[in-house]
Amino acid sequence: MSKKEKKIIVEEPIHLDIPEEEIWTYQVEGLAAPHINKPYKHYGLKKVIFALVIIVAVSISMYFSVRTVQKDTFEYEQSQSGFTLSKFSNTGYITELDIDYVSSVEYDTDNTDVNTNFTIKKDETKKVTSVGAYALNCDEKVKVINIGSDVEFIDPKAFYSCWALQQIEVDENNPNYCDVDGVLFNKDKTVIICRPCDHDTYLAEKYGHAKYDENGARIEPTAEDANYEQYVNDVLTYVVPSSVETIGELCFNYANMKNVYLPEGLKKIETLGFFEIPLLENVYSYKGDTADAHFAGEDALGEIYLSLPEGLEYIGSDAFSYNQAMNYIYIPESVTFIGHHALWDTVYKDGDTLCGITQINVALSEENFEKVETGDSWRPQYDYMLFKKSVDIVYNSERAEK
Amino acid sequence: MGSISAKVKSLFTEIKTHWNTPAEGKYVPYKEYKDVVLAVGSNYAGSKVLEYIGFFSSCYLIMHHYKLPYLTFSVINILNMPLGYISALIWWFVCDNLGFLPKKTERKLYLVYFLMIVFGVSTILFDYSRLFDQTSAFIRYLNGLEGMNATACFKTFGTHFLYTGWVGARNIFWRKKLLPKFGRYKYSLYCDVVPKCIMVILIGWLPVYNIPDVATRVWVANLLFATYNVFGFANNLETCTRSISPNLQERILVRSYPVKISHFFNTIVGIILPAIIGMLRYEWADINVYRYVIPGAFIVLAAMTMIFAGRVKERIPQPPVEKKVQIKFWDGMFGVLHNKYLLINTIKDLIDSLGNGMLPFVTILYFYTFRLSGLPYSLIVMLISFAGTPPDLLSPYFLKRFSYKQIMIFYQLTRAIGNGLIAAAMWFCGDNLTLCGTICVVVLFFMEMTKTVPTTAGHDMNVRIGDYQMYLSGERLESFAGVFGWFTGPITSFVGLIIPLLLLKYGFNSNWDVLFVDDSRRNIIVIPIIVDVIGFLLMTIPYLFWDYDSKKQNMVMEVLKRRAEVTEKKAAEEGETVSGGYVG
Repeated sequence: MSKKEKKIIVEEPIHLDIPEEEIWTYQVEGLAAPHINKPYKHYGLKKVIFALVIIVAVSISMYFSVRTVQKDTFEYEQSQSGFTLSKFSNTGYITELDIDYVSSVEYDTDNTDVNTNFTIKKDETKKVTSVGAYALNCDEKVKVINIGSDVEFIDPKAFYSCWALQQIEVDENNPNYCDVDGVLFNKDKTVIICRPCDHDTYLAEKYGHAKYDENGARIEPTAEDANYEQYVNDVLTYVVPSSVETIGELCFNYANMKNVYLPEGLKKIETLGFFEIPLLENVYSYKGDTADAHFAGEDALGEIYLSLPEGLEYIGSDAFSYNQAMNYIYIPESVTFIGHHALWDTVYKDGDTLCGITQINVALSEENFEKVETGDSWRPQYDYMLFKKSVDIVYNSERAEK
Repeated sequence: MGSISAKVKSLFTEIKTHWNTPAEGKYVPYKEYKDVVLAVGSNYAGSKVLEYIGFFSSCYLIMHHYKLPYLTFSVINILNMPLGYISALIWWFVCDNLGFLPKKTERKLYLVYFLMIVFGVSTILFDYSRLFDQTSAFIRYLNGLEGMNATACFKTFGTHFLYTGWVGARNIFWRKKLLPKFGRYKYSLYCDVVPKCIMVILIGWLPVYNIPDVATRVWVANLLFATYNVFGFANNLETCTRSISPNLQERILVRSYPVKISHFFNTIVGIILPAIIGMLRYEWADINVYRYVIPGAFIVLAAMTMIFAGRVKERIPQPPVEKKVQIKFWDGMFGVLHNKYLLINTIKDLIDSLGNGMLPFVTILYFYTFRLSGLPYSLIVMLISFAGTPPDLLSPYFLKRFSYKQIMIFYQLTRAIGNGLIAAAMWFCGDNLTLCGTICVVVLFFMEMTKTVPTTAGHDMNVRIGDYQMYLSGERLESFAGVFGWFTGPITSFVGLIIPLLLLKYGFNSNWDVLFVDDSRRNIIVIPIIVDVIGFLLMTIPYLFWDYDSKKQNMVMEVLKRRAEVTEKKAAEEGETVSGGYVG
């Protein structure tokens, strides 16, 4: 018999001769004896122990689980320079948040209105000097954040997906940051850090375009409305000030924005800089000088041309992903890096028609463009014969006329 | 060559001869093999289609349209835990007595369930949180829970009462009505299939995800999905094949060939569905996936399931249902606690809970790292899932060649090594999509290859555990086996918070787009995988104590057959007609 054959377990046929009266008690060798319709020993005691063990286990688990999922409204970590706001968990009713001193929530027991029955107490001996990544994450209530004068560092991902956030206001004495009409910048305005997700609601209020339905939801004007063009200019258009050299990571993500004007001095668009802006149709560049983010007509911006500015060097990963309303892109010769999926899902098929960014216009020749560092799948892809095909690159391209 | 053609010819003759009547010593005619392929195929594929819908964070409907905070699911589990214990208790009692309860007990249970439904409905209609002082610590605590407020907590709690009462009452009613006719594994398909189809349609069409307030969205979605879950469409027919024959070898044969071939249905559906979805403008994020594609596919498969379900038979060696041993509640409890092999499984599951709350990293890999969709997605999924098929066809050989203990230890070790390699690839070369992707796909391929034989072994081990339980207690006590969950539940629910809290720290909440941020994605995927790898290594330990071999199993089956013969004989002597018993 070979070694292999030996290892195959051969099952011998088994026959047990079990008398009829032993069918419920017959014990197989090596296994426990059956226990059918017979009382257990110490039955009562076993029941009590069983019940007690369960009750204790569930109670302990509930206690620790409940403690674990309970979050303090404000969580801080101490650092050398002060405190870092590491996590803010909304009570459900906080709509304005100050980030200046270590804070806690105190409730007024005489007031039964949940919207107003609390106050936020600040310990002015403990300064908040930084805001950590994801300190606010998917908050749906906070509309305004006020940054104190001592805040030295704000992580680019600090206010991630704060859907109701309309404004970030910075104390004018802060030496590191400032705001321009509710949008966060570094102090010298060379980096635009965060345009809040719901900034358009603030602009709509400010310029008198805001209308609400009976449930309090804002009604978005349509092209048929009389003032629509003015609405687009006031609310859906953003002018990045001419001092800006870098669009920060996640800066404009989910913005409600149709047009954006980029300054010619812009050098970098960081990762997810213009991520998922379904309305974004037009990216323009301008040569003029302006500190005002409000679009007051093209004359104020000097010479204007389509798409990305001359002088731009860096386009981060996913910089323009999922912007299907865009239909033109021109990559100037100054660009040296394009991150992975930079233009992902900006093209789609409507029936047989290809829509969105259907080709990529590049200033450089094919030979020179090969020197540009590009990430995987940086070009958008569309359905082609059941698979995906990247859109074409047009080299030595001239920029289209506006 | 000649011998191969002779073998094929002999196989053909064998199938032809025993197409309608099984060979001596066997129980299943080959015609039923064909029925198993069609019935299990459509049932399995239908149940897999339903995996696209569910009240869990990794469901694309929940993640993209509902946008519910990740930790909220853990909060809901904690809220439901205490009531879960009470409801499970009644549930097992009913199930393990197959719905045949003394009249008085039945009436009492109906009353309990009715009161639960009334309470549940009242919490939906009224806001009980208003009965409490709104500034009290209790209400403040509830308001501070992730994605919840006091109102949502009470309504979620009430929904669980409503769900439990509704499911419980249906369980008694339909078991009693349908089980004698359709058997213990198939009956639920007959009463659930139509309402399930309706709920699948409603889930796509009811615009609950448009509710602006997150807490309201949470409790309404919880109510909607609880209603959806009242009606099951599990892989019942495959479960039924576990009892298709008292002959062990025949059982493995059925499970290794017709059942595995039937899974090709799912492979085909798995290719077609994503390809169709890939043609939609917003692909997986398109709501039309849930309005048209999923309901359409499910309804077709559900209809096919019902056409073929009646042709697959249960041949479990057991006394007829009317003559079965009556299980007292505490006997059921202690009965399962005496089963050593259930204990081994429980300890393994306890360790496995280290991975609870983990995101489906393979899906993340496909969607967020490689941005796959349409046919390329289908093909890569199919390629990997196909990897398991060839070894699966050799399952009978592996199950003879190696002991179950060896197979299961091998399985845990391969999971640990495979996941470890994927974590290393994502950590060290995550920026290089091509290299990282190739490593991950190759590792996943080998992990799938080494998964299917242990899965078959695991199913067979569970069947054997059930057989052993039947030998010990006179009934399989499949539901009472959940008593181990009572002890492990408190631990697993707490341990299961570890990963969600870690993920929250790394930025994962209700917006899955955070996975497009490279450094966040790396942390969100890799750290939980490392925790899981530790779990897989530890899970080898309980299997060292597994000593239930084929010899013991065959002896147990002999005892069970003898019991069935004697009981049937006595019933016949008493002039009683019996149904659903041992078909020998």
